Amino acid sequence: MPLGALYDDAIAVLEAARVDVTPLRDGGRKLVFEAPDGTVFITTRPSDVPTYVEAGAADIGIVGRDVINERRPDVYELLDLGFGECRMVYATAAGEDRTGQIIARLGVLRVATKYPRVAEAYFTATGRQVELVKVNGSVELGPIVGLSDGIVDLVATGRTLRENGLVEREELFGSSARLIANRVSHKLRAEDIDALTARLAQAVDTEGA
Amino acid sequence: MSPTDVSPPAGALPSGARDVLPVEAAELRAVENALRATFARYGYREVRTPVVEFAEQLERANSGGLERAFRLFDQAGRVLVLRPDLTIPVARLIATRLADHPGPIRVSYTGPSFRVPQPGRPVASEHRQAGAELVGADGPEADAESVLLLREALGAAGLEQIRIGVGDVSVTEAVLGALAVPADVRARLARAAEERDLVAWRREASLLPLGDAERELLAGLPAMRGHADVFTRVAAVVPDAAPECARMTRLLTLLDREGLRDDVLVDLGILRDWQYYSGLVIEAYAAGAALPVAQGGRYDGLAARFGTPRPAVGFTIELELLHRALAGVNGAPRPVFGVVLVGGLDDELELASELRSGGIPVIALTSTDTRADALADAEGWRFVLVRDRDVFRIDDRAAGTSARSARPLEDLSSLR
Repeated sequence: MPLGALYDDAIAVLEAARVDVTPLRDGGRKLVFEAPDGTVFITTRPSDVPTYVEAGAADIGIVGRDVINERRPDVYELLDLGFGECRMVYATAAGEDRTGQIIARLGVLRVATKYPRVAEAYFTATGRQVELVKVNGSVELGPIVGLSDGIVDLVATGRTLRENGLVEREELFGSSARLIANRVSHKLRAEDIDALTARLAQAVDTEGA
Repeated sequence: MSPTDVSPPAGALPSGARDVLPVEAAELRAVENALRATFARYGYREVRTPVVEFAEQLERANSGGLERAFRLFDQAGRVLVLRPDLTIPVARLIATRLADHPGPIRVSYTGPSFRVPQPGRPVASEHRQAGAELVGADGPEADAESVLLLREALGAAGLEQIRIGVGDVSVTEAVLGALAVPADVRARLARAAEERDLVAWRREASLLPLGDAERELLAGLPAMRGHADVFTRVAAVVPDAAPECARMTRLLTLLDREGLRDDVLVDLGILRDWQYYSGLVIEAYAAGAALPVAQGGRYDGLAARFGTPRPAVGFTIELELLHRALAGVNGAPRPVFGVVLVGGLDDELELASELRSGGIPVIALTSTDTRADALADAEGWRFVLVRDRDVFRIDDRAAGTSARSARPLEDLSSLR
């Protein structure tokens, strides 16, 4: 279970798929919750969800496509859960987009991001050289204080960008929450996982309709 | 700055490298012996290939496996690699050294392979692999032997709960061909399959201009699981894929006859490496191992890249993963049958040699050595034997008992 922005929607979709989520609602500061039917929920930072699932510490997990693209875990990606929609974008300071000019004069673009692999893959694929500055939070600061020329970050509404005087220039990809499964659990518990996936798919369809 | 400031601490190893200590080594050896014995019962003869190969030789396989290989250079500047797996070197060996063998060729192998570890992941750089290849035999009958051999080998190693996932890339290829899926979409589907991204697969498939039934089938293809019913469903919607489906149905019938029905899961989502496999793909799963303990399949095109075209099917077992799954099954290691003999280095030399001739391991100490119990504890030996006036005292550390014995060889042998 991803703590943070996806958490409430993840609980809601599980509940809609008739999973007993009462232990998660009771909250507290515990990290591991056990439901009466024996289901164990592990709550963790979203970026660690693929780690737990890949290592088999959890059979399945819920995590954003953004994290999957960055971590590239060796897991099955089973279902688009529809919520947590956002976009990975490249943004620079408001006004004229100086990206082309910077590359022409300096050869290399400096980009601050929490997603270095995603950013590197994108700029490489579009034929531009970048110097990546890995930061762990408040990426928007980069262009403001002169740490970088632009940023690559996740935006939902774009409000944070606007409030910090940044403008979206390019979209890398759209993201939403995904259901992932460990490679071995996906086979050893095939019946359980297929049944849950079907119920979740149904819940997502009903929601969307 | 003194040299100690820059040298790594004693015992430091490169990332991904590790030592194997006696308990694990003994268990790994037992697992390997069980696998080898099973391979031998099916007439698979052992071969060995060098650890170092020319990169360009292995590149012929075009398997993508070289991306994570350790590379070095020889004196002429040619690129060498530490073999990243054993299947391709063995395929090279069979195609070049056994080119005039009438076939079918059955070979097995055991040895280390090497891959550059990925940062942040618990993956070792050295992996012991064991495998068996059946070359020069086509058809579901050969496929069935390979699956059966894999099941038996894993069983012999002590793994009871196993699930063998069975897929077939040729079924998927046949469906894509019959539905005339354009090349660019195919490439994207192949990529989605490789990344196990069923969401991307479904999205790509659902955009295709197909009939509803066909589109539905294609979108859900890698999520199709079950038994023979999977192929019935595929062939019903895409009749052109019927031959490939019939072949898999025949394989399942053969496996049923071997009593493997409950262990086999048909899963069309097992679509590794399209370039490399040409039909059957198999993966074996065990609780306690986060990755498949074995994988393999049919790769009829590989031998031709080394100059001798021949159909081939086989699998590779990852020994460390298998051992990890077994360690979870078996719990704490049991005491090892062996005797710490006080005086075995001096006063009881004759007894020591008598016991060893009787097949009982003897760990000898001098008669004044007081570390017998500590040693038995540290190394897990089951017995401590010490002279008690005119007889001996046997401490059985597994049973927690102590007994007097006039004839240690007989008494110990009876406890085996």
